[in-house]
Amino acid sequence: MDVPILSLLVLLPLIGAVLTLFMGGARTKYAKVVAAVFTAAALVLSLYVMFMPSGDLANLTENYTWIESAGIKMSIIFGIDGLSILMVFLTALLMFLVVVFSWNEEDRPNYFHALLLAMEVGLMGVYMAQDYFLFYIMWEVTLIPMFFLISWYGGPRRHYSAIKFFIYTHVASLIMLIGIFGLVFGTSGGDFAFAAVANAGGLSEAMQIFLFGLLFFGFAVKMPVPPFHTWLPDAHVEAPTAGSVLLAGVMLKMGSYGIIRVCLDADIFALAMPVWQPVMIGLGIFAMVYGVYACIAQNDLKKMVAYSSISHMGMVLVGMGCMSEIGIEFAIFQMFAHGLISAALFMVCGLAGHNFGTRDMRLLGGMAGKAPRFALFMMIAFMASLGLPGLMGFIAEFGLLYGLWEYLASVDLMPIILLGLLYMLLTAGYYIWAMQKTLFGKLTDKIDLEHAHDIGNIECVVLAVLAVLIALFGILPGLATDYIMPFVSSIVNAGGLLI
Amino acid sequence: MADIFNSMIDALSDLLGQGIYVLPEIILMVAAVLSPLLYFITKKGTASAVLTFVLMAVSAVVTCIMMHTVTYGTAFGLFEFDAFSSLMMLLFLAVGGLTVFISQGHVETTKHKGEYYALIAGAVAAMMFVASATNLVAIFVGVEVVSIFSYALVALKKNDPRSSEAAVKYLIIGALSSALTLYGMSMIYGVTGSLDLYGPDGIVAQVSVMAGNWPFIIGCVGMIAGYGFKISAVPFHSWSPDVYEGASTPVSGFLATGSKKMGFAVILKIFLVMFVAMETGVLSEDFQMVFAILAAITMTVGNVVAISQTNIKRMLAYSSIAQAGYILIVLAVMSQYAVVGGLFHMFTHVVMKGGAFVVVAALITAGLGERISDYNGLAKRAPFAAAAMMLFLFSLAGIPPLAGFTSKFILFSGALATPAGGVDLTWLWLVLVAVLNSAISLYYYARVVKAMYVEKPQTEERLPIGRAFTVAIALCVIGVIVLGVYPNVLLDLCSTAADALFALV
Repeated sequence: MDVPILSLLVLLPLIGAVLTLFMGGARTKYAKVVAAVFTAAALVLSLYVMFMPSGDLANLTENYTWIESAGIKMSIIFGIDGLSILMVFLTALLMFLVVVFSWNEEDRPNYFHALLLAMEVGLMGVYMAQDYFLFYIMWEVTLIPMFFLISWYGGPRRHYSAIKFFIYTHVASLIMLIGIFGLVFGTSGGDFAFAAVANAGGLSEAMQIFLFGLLFFGFAVKMPVPPFHTWLPDAHVEAPTAGSVLLAGVMLKMGSYGIIRVCLDADIFALAMPVWQPVMIGLGIFAMVYGVYACIAQNDLKKMVAYSSISHMGMVLVGMGCMSEIGIEFAIFQMFAHGLISAALFMVCGLAGHNFGTRDMRLLGGMAGKAPRFALFMMIAFMASLGLPGLMGFIAEFGLLYGLWEYLASVDLMPIILLGLLYMLLTAGYYIWAMQKTLFGKLTDKIDLEHAHDIGNIECVVLAVLAVLIALFGILPGLATDYIMPFVSSIVNAGGLLI
Repeated sequence: MADIFNSMIDALSDLLGQGIYVLPEIILMVAAVLSPLLYFITKKGTASAVLTFVLMAVSAVVTCIMMHTVTYGTAFGLFEFDAFSSLMMLLFLAVGGLTVFISQGHVETTKHKGEYYALIAGAVAAMMFVASATNLVAIFVGVEVVSIFSYALVALKKNDPRSSEAAVKYLIIGALSSALTLYGMSMIYGVTGSLDLYGPDGIVAQVSVMAGNWPFIIGCVGMIAGYGFKISAVPFHSWSPDVYEGASTPVSGFLATGSKKMGFAVILKIFLVMFVAMETGVLSEDFQMVFAILAAITMTVGNVVAISQTNIKRMLAYSSIAQAGYILIVLAVMSQYAVVGGLFHMFTHVVMKGGAFVVVAALITAGLGERISDYNGLAKRAPFAAAAMMLFLFSLAGIPPLAGFTSKFILFSGALATPAGGVDLTWLWLVLVAVLNSAISLYYYARVVKAMYVEKPQTEERLPIGRAFTVAIALCVIGVIVLGVYPNVLLDLCSTAADALFALV
């Protein structure tokens, strides 16, 4: 391949970010056009990569030596496989949709779009990096745009939330960084490439367990796994809709992506994996149940959806913790599904706040008659998230519960599956309850109905695209699993999985 | 090209004899003598500024040429030109050049322009002598010269009582630290019978038999304390915030980036070499622990106290203390790779901290106050300065892909990597402390960024930034980005310098 496609996926948004950043004054109103063009180009590229024959993916790998001095070697290596491609596609898609969704943003739109595009640079980089140094840099690059997105465009408590988000996740990244130091110097002795580390291997058992812990902590905060989740509700509630969509849709996935990519690499952590397995499953189940109970207690739609992210990512953690073929497969599928569904969820919540003036369920009621389009999309998004058969969420949850069942059977702890069922029941409960309070019943008189309006055409198209995809992948999950299966079996062939 | 340089160097060495190996220093001494003369003749500060700057540039070019041609040589048995000393010289020249470059346009600069540039040139020359000195007395004298010039520099803002107070404080504490150093040196001379550091009869050659020798240990402790003042390691740091606040801003930047690095050069030349020579001795482990604790306390106190500062110069002073703590990790770890990280961090510190001081100086010249609340809404009033300041602060906090991240990355990873390329968890606690400190520091840096970008300005009035300031800020911005993204060249230099340092053992 002569065209460096993967580098382009990072460079296109970077160029776009620089361009939009300097579109001050009268040109400000064209920033959204530039952003749309560049995100669309990245989306087209990612689709092109997606529809390439899967054997060709490995040929796309690009490898440039970056720093080679004083006994260390860092390289810019971009590579793509079945796991990466889904995340890259998700990033490119959501980024484009978010730009379109925010078409009417009028507060300094040039900076707004520059920040979005800068986010895309970091996200693309994380999902394609094959070198720990590059991976870490890209991981941190996502922080600053999000910090400014929240503190410039966010809600009333934005300053507090932005700083909390920034520092909390930065601390976790630094802990992860120590893990990376240990990992790299303990194996390849200074070559930061993924492949060099995996090939060298050879960590002692104690060291494996220790480093796994550091890396897992760094990833778990990003996911986030309770009790390290407290930055998330604040950040989500205060972030602008675009920020929340990206935060839930793709940024949280960085954590679970990292766990699959690094922690579940049997070449490195074969001895640590069984030790950490119960912790992962335990934390995952705790996250599921805790998230659900937190959801029930919320009155703010957006906050409820934020907590539902925690419980859904808890399911992903359970799937990864199973360390079985089916568990990891559906963990990845759930990452993808949750990316699309949570994007729709946060858009709907953002629209409620914007169009009705409040997201408080106690104040809303009977909105279905007043805003039928809103009601339709809210129902689709909520139903998908609670796992209605025929939509994406169902496939993911079904597979993950099956994986959990298998694991519990193997360790003789069958009754715990009841917690999984409780989770499903209560998830359905709070979503349906929320819809009932918001959409149905008597039309509320507690909000300014004069100004309450239904969603506009642009938002409608964006949500429709998401809805179609959610249904499409729900009916034909093979479209996604065709990418996941070869990836998972490649880890299985490496001897990495336990069951 | 190389032939021309070689014949030039040959001709010069015929002329100067061994003096060729201190040629860069001599050039700066010429600058120190000529610049006040020129000022008294022309009565123009710009003339002596240009002269000093040009001679600094010449000195830097000469150093670079010598790095590629002669690479090694000793002068008068006191000074040694090698990869380490030449790299440190370049650092001091960069600091001095930056200071001279922005001083002319700076509002706080005094009427005594001729003396001002002479003091800076002289201080840089003395720093360079210190970097190449191999004898305890030569080091002591060099450091004293730098100190005395610095007292005068701090006091030059004569009409401001804060400046005089700072100078007096600096003088008294400096005198105390000199006394401690000299006392330590005398003990060591008494025990070893030598003032030369290296060589067959030197101090380093004798350290392996010094375990349990109390006068020697007391001597070392005295010197650590004395030079601890210079690098403002906690608990010897109390002078630095007052001095940085009281002195004119270019001078504060000069002290924070220049004279502190000289302290590190001394510590590396004396202690690192000495402790590595002790090899597996019990004594060196004790001293490693001393430095590890010093490092941990220094970075923690620096960062925690910085949080509560409301004056930007004081905040930068405390952040400098914290950065000194990071560099002290090198002395605890004592591996070659860690030294590379430490040297590299000194350079990135010059561009990011120096850059931050340049921005502060530019804004003071433009009429802005020194309080952090004065920076509210700066992004609207001085967009370029605000953007640059944000980059410098994020770089100081270690956010990738800026210079501060890359250097901290290497420095911290150096604390975990063993020379053979494995992992050693001895200093894990120190790295954890360092990393958590990095996170703390993000809080107060982000607060300034928030003030600049999120808060509303008191007035919308634009702040004019002078041309020299703009150029200097732009250079530092380029430095912060280039050293972060493409550190290869400098890393190679640091690597060679570390080799040279370890070759002294």
